[in-house]
Amino acid sequence: MAHRWFGSAVAVVIAGTLMAPQYVGGQTATSAEKPWDPPRTRDGQPDIQGYWSQRSDITTYSIQAGFVDREEHTRIGGQNPQKGRPVIDPPSGVIPYQPWAAEKAQLHHAQHRQPSKPEYFDPVSRCFEEGVPRMNYQGNMRVLQFPNQIVILHEFNHHYRVIYLDGRPHVGDTLKLWMGDSRGRWEGNTLVVDVTNHNDKTWFDIVGSFHSDAMRVTERWTFTGPDRIDYVATIDDPKVFTQPWKLRVQIGRNKPEEQWESAICEGNKAVHVAFGLPW
Amino acid sequence: MTGRLARWAIVTTATILSLAPLSAGVQGGGGQAVSRTLDGRPDLSGVWQVINGAAWNIQDQNAAPGPHGAPWLGIPASRGVVEGNEIPYQPWARAKKDENYKNRLTLDPEVNCYLPGVPRITYMPFPFQIVQTPTYIAILYEYVHAIRHIYVDGSTHPAGPIEWWMGDSRGRWEGDTLVVSVRHFNADTWFDRAGNFHSEEMQLTERYSFVDRDTINYEVTVEDPKVFTRPWKMSMLLYRRKEPNVQLLEHPCYSFDGVAVGTRPNDKIAPGR
Repeated sequence: MAHRWFGSAVAVVIAGTLMAPQYVGGQTATSAEKPWDPPRTRDGQPDIQGYWSQRSDITTYSIQAGFVDREEHTRIGGQNPQKGRPVIDPPSGVIPYQPWAAEKAQLHHAQHRQPSKPEYFDPVSRCFEEGVPRMNYQGNMRVLQFPNQIVILHEFNHHYRVIYLDGRPHVGDTLKLWMGDSRGRWEGNTLVVDVTNHNDKTWFDIVGSFHSDAMRVTERWTFTGPDRIDYVATIDDPKVFTQPWKLRVQIGRNKPEEQWESAICEGNKAVHVAFGLPW
Repeated sequence: MTGRLARWAIVTTATILSLAPLSAGVQGGGGQAVSRTLDGRPDLSGVWQVINGAAWNIQDQNAAPGPHGAPWLGIPASRGVVEGNEIPYQPWARAKKDENYKNRLTLDPEVNCYLPGVPRITYMPFPFQIVQTPTYIAILYEYVHAIRHIYVDGSTHPAGPIEWWMGDSRGRWEGDTLVVSVRHFNADTWFDRAGNFHSEEMQLTERYSFVDRDTINYEVTVEDPKVFTRPWKMSMLLYRRKEPNVQLLEHPCYSFDGVAVGTRPNDKIAPGR
């Protein structure tokens, strides 16, 4: 067994040398265990292009484990409760808030159906941008790939992300962005994206799971097969959480389909309804 | 050989000289070849932006105080981008344009930061990024993170009626010029902050052609028999943003306090409805 492992490791290194010299250094144990060899772009990246959406049966209602949220979601939304459990670390499935932040999250939760002011209302329901990682469990996406950047187009509310692969530094600390500032690199079959410069206005879900502008998200998009991406985001925010935590989303390939206009702010009446404003 | 080479050189030179600067396409005035994609098309990829006053007024504009209570942040004077500086409105439509202008502080869809439509998005004072594949071109805009999907795969417009803020774009290459047909608009977008408007019957033909490797000539023909007496045309240059650290940031102005629903000056919040 040992020599077989050695042999396949050598094969991976050789293949890497021939096909993608710039990415050899990042080969991981995961890719050695799962020696699926993805098709590659002309410049040697695993070819991640195409049409994708989540297959985890999770919704943006609440990412935390707990039947109460699921029951509530069923009751007010008429949808099946989510069975997926996106928070995989800590194993409890609960976001590790600091005490003050847990209180604030409880306030958001208590307010989310009848908010007393706009800032207690889900920002996405107000037509604001989703932020990362929430964007990745909302609707379909199309990935375009180039030597220096990967572009993700999300149909919902025409979100896009440009993930630079060219090693450029992040924008300055004082710039705050709804979708963050993304820098990516390949480690074997895993696209690792460092997302910084978040504002403190996006939530992880409708019930108000939140973060601060000190959040750093490390996304790992691991290609596990031709039609599967295993997505894990590590959320690190020392101002709000007691430890980094991880959120997992299974992503599957869709048939090619044109993205059409999704104009959300233009027709949105959610805030009018919530606060009794005239249309 | 020498004779043939010389003759080729003369013909080439004559060809180059005979081309007007704005239609050179393959080579710019500096002699630098335009970048090309693997499939041989001019490569439009990059970050671009106009330098003109069309966001304020697509026709000639005199310097004026700003309309927003801060007069020193004025409107710059600018040359119009409309061919002949004349927009051929039907009489009723000219009256409506004048009304739009008078009430522009409330009627302009830009005050809500809605999707601004085409061609207005092109000359908003923000950068945009083009990404290009052989069958599909996306234009990503910093302004309200708008996206234009331009299908260059031989497909036709979907059957209407459809009313989209940004229309439906289908492109094709005519030599080195990207020609985009845009239709299926709604009647809710304007051309500029001066009240110039159209109906849902508007159809556009855009033409993108390189002047040199860092400059694109952008032309758009506007047809709308409900509003105008004839087709008319705008043209302007798109300049490549060449700063080494250039990247799109965000201008989601619909989320600004004062613009977002619930924070507007006249919004009276009644919680718990």
